[in-house]
Amino acid sequence: MASSSISSCLRLFTTRSFLSPKPRKNLSFFYKPTSFAKNPLSKSLVAVSSSTSTSPIQPVEDLPPKLQEIVQLFQSVQEPKAKYEQLLFYGKSLKPLDTRFKTRENKVEGCVSQVWVRAYLDDQKNVVYEADSDSVLTKGLAALLVQGLSNRPVEEIVKVTPDFVVLLGLQQSLTPSRNNGFLNMLKLMQKKAVELVFESEKAGGSVEGSNLGSKNSKNLTLERKGDGVGGLESKVESSSQVGSGKNLTLEMEGDSGAGDNGSNSGGLGSRGMRIRDKLEKELRPVVLEVEDISYQHAGHAGVRGSDGETHFNVKIVSKEFEGKSLVKRHRLIYDLLQEELQNGLHALSIVARTPSEV
Amino acid sequence: MEAVVPKLASFNLLNPKSKSKSAIRRFSSALCVSSSPSVTSTDSVSLGHITRPDFPILHQEVYGSKKLVYLDNAATSQKPIAVLKALQNYYEAYNSNVHRGIHFLSAKATDEYELARKKVAAFINASDSGEIVFTKNATEAINLVAYSWGLSNLKSGDEVILTVAEHHSAIVPWQLVAQKTGANLKFLNLNDDESPDLDKLKEMLSRKTKLVVIHHISNMLASILPIEEIVHWSHDVGAKVLVDACQSVPHMVVDVQGLDADFLVASSHKMCGPTGIGFLFGKSDLLSAMPPFLGGGEMISDVFLDHSTFADPPSRFEAGTPAIGEAIGLGAAIDYLSTIGMQKIHAYEMELAKYLYENLLSIPNIRIYGPKPSEHVQRAALCSFNVENIHPTDIATLLDQQYGVAIRSGHHCAQPLHRYLGVNASARASLHFYNTKEDVDEFIHALNETVSFFNVFK
Repeated sequence: MASSSISSCLRLFTTRSFLSPKPRKNLSFFYKPTSFAKNPLSKSLVAVSSSTSTSPIQPVEDLPPKLQEIVQLFQSVQEPKAKYEQLLFYGKSLKPLDTRFKTRENKVEGCVSQVWVRAYLDDQKNVVYEADSDSVLTKGLAALLVQGLSNRPVEEIVKVTPDFVVLLGLQQSLTPSRNNGFLNMLKLMQKKAVELVFESEKAGGSVEGSNLGSKNSKNLTLERKGDGVGGLESKVESSSQVGSGKNLTLEMEGDSGAGDNGSNSGGLGSRGMRIRDKLEKELRPVVLEVEDISYQHAGHAGVRGSDGETHFNVKIVSKEFEGKSLVKRHRLIYDLLQEELQNGLHALSIVARTPSEV
Repeated sequence: MEAVVPKLASFNLLNPKSKSKSAIRRFSSALCVSSSPSVTSTDSVSLGHITRPDFPILHQEVYGSKKLVYLDNAATSQKPIAVLKALQNYYEAYNSNVHRGIHFLSAKATDEYELARKKVAAFINASDSGEIVFTKNATEAINLVAYSWGLSNLKSGDEVILTVAEHHSAIVPWQLVAQKTGANLKFLNLNDDESPDLDKLKEMLSRKTKLVVIHHISNMLASILPIEEIVHWSHDVGAKVLVDACQSVPHMVVDVQGLDADFLVASSHKMCGPTGIGFLFGKSDLLSAMPPFLGGGEMISDVFLDHSTFADPPSRFEAGTPAIGEAIGLGAAIDYLSTIGMQKIHAYEMELAKYLYENLLSIPNIRIYGPKPSEHVQRAALCSFNVENIHPTDIATLLDQQYGVAIRSGHHCAQPLHRYLGVNASARASLHFYNTKEDVDEFIHALNETVSFFNVFK
């Protein structure tokens, strides 16, 4: 059972890996966790393969040093439960990711849990990663990658294939769908590394990676730390979408206005502003984030005929929700925005919490 | 029609931990003689214990040493030996294309295929087997109604009412058709008891409503809706009703004439039948007026170069070679279920549902979705839940890896419902009549340990 699940996983990796390793003829062999013969000459592991996969896996020596360390650590732990504990410990090492970095560009696709990865360049032009997840097992996996890949040169990062997860022996304990998320995490991290380097070469400064590769690429991403704005950190991220240029999200920290947790107010159209104002006035929120996501629904029946501003994400933390069920909270918000709903506001996606629930 | 199970088999039934392969083989050979289970149940041996031996897949260990506890029946059910045999027998003895040939095998295949159709009709009490259209699954059946009935009956300004709790297969086809026709989709919210708000439904129904698409049993909330009343209210305003019975047909008596449903869909693979086959029930007059959905062989009458004429329903909606073996397998599944009796299955599952719910409540910080069970409110034998501060995927992963307990985690093809409830994902355990109280006990035990494991790490 173990080898068949591993082989199916390998097939997953080899067909979907977008940066495939150079084929190696002799050194790498397929690892079967329960029994292997030690090859004194090479660090890579020899095993009897009963699978139909013919692609060799990436040898351990090719991995960044920290990742090699991690691989060895996991290999020394045999029992599955202990491996989990190890994984969870790694997850704990990740400090929580600031909410302002939990953006669409940082979200990993294909995960049942939510996973975000942030990447930036440090002074030595090394890629530094941060990550977070609402699932602790996924967080553990993310931590492995963050620790393994951070502060390494880009050329090294992009060479890493997901094969090493097989070497951890965790694969046996992880479902294929989780592995898929892992693969996507790695891909995203590699993509961000490449983008950062590209940006850095273009701008010649310290930058934060974001959405490259779409048609109206407006990739202004600057991070000025504490220069001239009275110690405040301001960050402008613009993500470009087809057609509408309405998605400039400006995030300011700790300045005037409601909320101390990165409220997105710049770039909202009149409806967006009205929604903000209404909710601020009536619910006195501690946190309020209003995001115009109409661009995602451009072309739909509900949008036609209106001038954008049809779909919004609303995240709101307010004492007014105490004692109210989720259904009641949503109703409260809908009631407040009745007028908008009748005049072209098509849909609201709401996250409504009380301060104690955050 | 009761079958007698040899005494040896029943002795082994009382010792469910016995995993010896030879015991299983003895079961199989005993059951070859009579492929239907004994329906006599005593206090100490429940329906679950009696029927378990009929399902070979349940008797295995996963990850080397963990006994499989399968609690993902809302996703798909397991198949009894009788169904497996029917499939094998079809291919071994009389596989042949249906409706076209004259020879012996073809006639036999056609007879069995049409007999399967009759069995489905009888199972849901349709007045005529011509009201049963075989499809690939329930999703295809809903698409059939959407594209065939929907495109020719809906126009700009018409309304289709659905609930926020519908399965994606009941929502997406109507979104596509609404776009094409200019009809509007209206969504019924939940009431405070987390069940579709039926009072609100009465308000929403109007002369503009042409169709109500609604589930019988929710695959996440476990709510059971009074379809008879809903159909009554809908018909009063001139609206038709499409019932998604995927979670009800396998678990209780469903009577389409009693419900007076206009359309009803279900999938074979959730009712102990093979995958690849499902059906649409549609009232004769409705089906007769509907244009074809897929074009091809079988559904035609005459074919010319520039046009064709079409067959009567149900053939009109069955283009190409059908899943013949699978349909026959579904027929065998219906035989199997009927032998036990759907009332018996329902009664047993209601017991299990109560047991599951009550035991789940004992988990600290658990949140179970859907209505609270009471004298007037029944829940189906499934529970979607979240444990505070622990991601459902983490729970499901550990339950699987460490305990062999198979549950599901995710949005269960009900993203709008999860968004409505304000969660990203949930875990779900769902039972069928071959589960036992011991299965639930093992699940609860595993869940308790899993929750503790994760809480330690907080």
